Amino acid sequence: MRLASFADIRTLDPAVTSDALAAEALELMFAGLVDFDAQGKVAPDLAERFEVSPDGTDYRFVLRAGLVFHDGSPLTADDVKRSIERSLAPDTPNSFASFYDRIAGFEDFTTGKAPHLDGVTVGGRFVVSIRLREPDATFLSALAMHSLRPVCPSAGDKYDPTWLPCGAGPFKLVAGNWDRGRSLLLLRHDGYHRPGEPYLDAVQWSYGMNGVTQRFKLEAGELDGTRELSLADTARFMRDPRWKALGDYDSARSISAEGMNVEMPPFDNVEVRRAVANALDRDQYRLLRAANLEALTRVLSRSFRDEDPAFPGQKHDLAAALEHMARAGFPYDPTTGQGGYPKTIVYVVYKQGLIELTGQLLQQQLARIGLRVELKVVSYSTYLSLTKRRGTTTMAPEGWQEDFPDASDFFDPLFASSAINDEDSNNTSFYRNPVLDELLVRGRKELDPATRKRMYDEADAMVCADAPWALTYAYRSWTLHQPYVRGFVPHPVWSEYVAKSWLDRAATAVASRSGVLRDVRYAAGGAPP
Amino acid sequence: MNFLDPRAKGRFLRHRGARVGLVLVGLIVVFAVVAPLFAGQDPLHSDFAAGATVDGLPAAPSGVHWLGTDRLYRDVFARLAYGARISLLVGVVATVIATIIGAAVGIVAGYYEGSDGVRIPWVSVTGLVLGLVTLVLGHPQAAMILVFVSAAIGLAGVLQSIEPLRAGPRLDADTALMRLVDVGLSFPFLLLVMALGAALDKTSVTTIFLTLGLTGWLGTARIVRAKTLQVRNLEFVLAARALGRPTLAILLRHILPNVAGPLVVLATASVAQMILAESALSYLGAGIAPPTPTWGHMLYEGQDNYTAAPWLLAAPAISILVTVLGFNLVGEGLRDALDPRAQ
Amino acid sequence: MMRRIGKRLLWAVFVIWATVSLAFVVNNVLPSDPARMVAGPQARPKEVEKVRAQLGLNKPLYEQYGIFLRRLVHVGPTSPEANDPVHGSCAALGLLHFDLGTSYQQRRPVITILAERLPRTLLLAVVAVLLQVLFGVSTGTLAAAKKRTWLDHGTVTATLIGISAPTFVLGLILQYVFAHRLRWLPLDGYGLTAGEHLVSVVLPALTLGIFGAAYYTRLVRDELLGIEGQDHVRTARAKGLSSFRVWTHHLLRNALAPLVTVVGLDLGALVGGAIVTETLFRWPGIGALSVTALLDRDGPVILGTVLLASTSVVLSNLLVDASYALLDPRVRRGR
Repeated sequence: MRLASFADIRTLDPAVTSDALAAEALELMFAGLVDFDAQGKVAPDLAERFEVSPDGTDYRFVLRAGLVFHDGSPLTADDVKRSIERSLAPDTPNSFASFYDRIAGFEDFTTGKAPHLDGVTVGGRFVVSIRLREPDATFLSALAMHSLRPVCPSAGDKYDPTWLPCGAGPFKLVAGNWDRGRSLLLLRHDGYHRPGEPYLDAVQWSYGMNGVTQRFKLEAGELDGTRELSLADTARFMRDPRWKALGDYDSARSISAEGMNVEMPPFDNVEVRRAVANALDRDQYRLLRAANLEALTRVLSRSFRDEDPAFPGQKHDLAAALEHMARAGFPYDPTTGQGGYPKTIVYVVYKQGLIELTGQLLQQQLARIGLRVELKVVSYSTYLSLTKRRGTTTMAPEGWQEDFPDASDFFDPLFASSAINDEDSNNTSFYRNPVLDELLVRGRKELDPATRKRMYDEADAMVCADAPWALTYAYRSWTLHQPYVRGFVPHPVWSEYVAKSWLDRAATAVASRSGVLRDVRYAAGGAPP
Repeated sequence: MNFLDPRAKGRFLRHRGARVGLVLVGLIVVFAVVAPLFAGQDPLHSDFAAGATVDGLPAAPSGVHWLGTDRLYRDVFARLAYGARISLLVGVVATVIATIIGAAVGIVAGYYEGSDGVRIPWVSVTGLVLGLVTLVLGHPQAAMILVFVSAAIGLAGVLQSIEPLRAGPRLDADTALMRLVDVGLSFPFLLLVMALGAALDKTSVTTIFLTLGLTGWLGTARIVRAKTLQVRNLEFVLAARALGRPTLAILLRHILPNVAGPLVVLATASVAQMILAESALSYLGAGIAPPTPTWGHMLYEGQDNYTAAPWLLAAPAISILVTVLGFNLVGEGLRDALDPRAQ
Repeated sequence: MMRRIGKRLLWAVFVIWATVSLAFVVNNVLPSDPARMVAGPQARPKEVEKVRAQLGLNKPLYEQYGIFLRRLVHVGPTSPEANDPVHGSCAALGLLHFDLGTSYQQRRPVITILAERLPRTLLLAVVAVLLQVLFGVSTGTLAAAKKRTWLDHGTVTATLIGISAPTFVLGLILQYVFAHRLRWLPLDGYGLTAGEHLVSVVLPALTLGIFGAAYYTRLVRDELLGIEGQDHVRTARAKGLSSFRVWTHHLLRNALAPLVTVVGLDLGALVGGAIVTETLFRWPGIGALSVTALLDRDGPVILGTVLLASTSVVLSNLLVDASYALLDPRVRRGR
């Protein structure tokens, strides 16, 4: 299966990676104790089964028999513990280590005081137990991510940047098959624990390929799928019913918003923030990239829960916005243009196509309620520095990409006061709400799914009402595959999850002979069919 | 090749290229001044009604929007017109800054080329080098002491004319300035632009003037220096020196008018270069902050969808081409008029 | 003579040192955090702090500068292992080690990255300059020979347009016509095989080359027209030499000097990488590397590219000046 992408991957070491594109390859190379199934629920993978103690602090995983790494060595409980410790070791530059900080002994181990992680114990060849110091509802989801997945004995127990990535996933990397910045070739791992899988012999990525080139190659049959069609191409393909049927949407795993610093005027006034939340016309935002954006009215987008139209999220209501401005003490009269907030608000934006456009759109929309916005364009790295420092940035585009599929991931780092830091704050609004804080702490420990859902709905409603962020849109990728690609179902968590797909060779021949592909190519190219 | 040669003006006006150039430049200037007045549309207003297709793509040229709309559904013609003002302004002002600095540096460097210059005491030089080595080896305090002491000793030697202390290699203005130019030419442009942008904090038009002006004088300096080398040996310059005229007067009254010829040609070419550089700056993300329309920014915005919406790219590209061509033609004409040998 | 060369070399070293040091200072003064860029925007502050310590960014500036210079050229074991913590990122020539550090983002030795990318930039530079020279010399000569004819005027106009068009737009147009519509050439990228490399270099080289070709044509034409009136040419003509011989032997050789100057300077500048063209055509060369390194605040790579670019510019200046001195007496002798 041949895929391509515009971006490049930096590293394929599961303990260290932090970019979303590498995650696609990592998912195919490394299998974990647990993984997300087709419904997005945590299900056993390398483990045959697992048990959780009633108080939620003890997890016991029983490994399958006959597990084999890519290099042929057997996978045992010792390997699991070794991999976890390697990933969380003090010298390993793991960006996600703090997700696992509830594991007993985490503090001592990660600061180097203890040589081993006490909370992880091996009970024989096939049993691994993990003890938490307090219940953590996010633990299983975090465990299902790539960070702690077992790595071959060749990785040792310390991080080494020159190590050839080797794990127990359906596909393996053989030395020489990763041409940095150009291509990556993964071959089938015959020892994979699911019988018969994977169906594909190999998966190959080409990096640094332009979206338009990808479209050309797709039409010529040199590529089997693409997610990076340009705006015009996506529009054209979606209008053509034959191509449209071959495309799938990812789930919306990222949210975008206009972030307001609640410590700096005028956004220290909650009424002004509410005015902004009401003033935004999300449909206009959406139109900028209609195929991929959906309007966002609440923090937890559709990926987590079913749409509840009665939910009091943020809505477009110009009259209400003007009302809020009046209540804030800055009444604005749209007909005369008098009033509003007297000073100009500086909006820090970085160079990225869509963000620059939405920034300019924001200017126009906020002008309608008497807020004058001025854009300041900086590089992305400068933007990060400026927005994360206290007292520096009044307003800036914000967003969040789901680290792992759990509601807490959208609240704890963004709106909890524990995330506030003077120099390097993830909570860039510097929003502080003790009621929300307490709710989030309880939510992290609450193990009953129904109660948890209620708690996070409440948190969502609180954030929408207080509006440290004015939510704008959620982004979904649209993937297009060739007609001969079978078995591809968009996975709720992993992009381009092709472990269960195969290519129908017969169909390929038929397709080109019958001219289906050719006809569609002409239609996509603009000439009359 | 006197700039004030009266026949030069005639030659210039007879030059076909120059005439075409003047017409082009004139057209653009008129466009910049007049078009915004009757453009009709607001260049900053997004027209969601008539400016967007159902898919969210910009609208093609139509009766409402003469040159179509851009990615944010704003009228392209209006943006082009306002952008013309900015591009011309940036081109001219940045050129003035760069030309003044470049001429000053070039004349001084050329005039003092080969001269003895000042003597830098060996004591200070050794002190500086040793200080650097000490710093590299990790002792900043020791390094600072070394540098200060050696500089002080050297200075004392120079001021008090103590021979062994003030002996040293000579450094003349030309070498110093030209090495400065070398550093400037090999320094990465993008880093410099980012630094200037961060230092000046706002990406307003002034920032762009300064950025382009402060980076654009290097080439001018070199060429003016070469010309100065030729001019300084002319009779009236030697005569002025013999008469004991102050250097500044010589530079301004004798050298400057004689290098003015190539300088003016360089300046017109420079306007063209500055307009191109502004578009490169916008492309690299360091131009004037949006939503202000500049041709460079319109190019940058237009490149993503140029296959579906070619007018987005064509309009600013053709405008830039015409303007730059016009200035280059004028420059050509000036050069040929001032130097008929090349005709 | 040797003294002059010695002085020029010393100054060259000074300029390179000054440029790199200036780049170091500027890069560290800009408001942004390389550790955050490595850890990602969503990493928690504790993780970012860990990365910062690992990359040595916690040390005071002068210490970082000192480490950088110390490691630039030093002595060490003959063949260090790739994962040797001290010498793993060095390029070793016997006992002499050159070390530019390790890239924050790619976690690989900077020297390795530069060595990977340099041949690609060189390929682009050489092809572009070759095109420029071939086109410039031939067209410029033709135009000068047939001066005042329509050919001449047309050439002058065309070259004016060539130097007036923004590179980036030219690139897009070429890309659209040849890669999009006609699909003769790849849209961008470098390709995987040698054949693909050659095919991929055409469009970027053309884009880079058009400005240069126009400039060279004008240069050659101007030089030739300037020399034409001189005595030695009239003598040659009077002697009855064929027009062709006059052109090649007498005129071109004299016009070569400024052309060589410009070619040398161009090559030197292009080694630093043509940023806009490389970005447009996704050409994985030094130019694209320097842009991404700057945007990611990857200090070691930034300094590495600055070092490379400034060395190249300074060296080419030196060589051009030296060759100019060499060319001159030989030309005089040839008359």
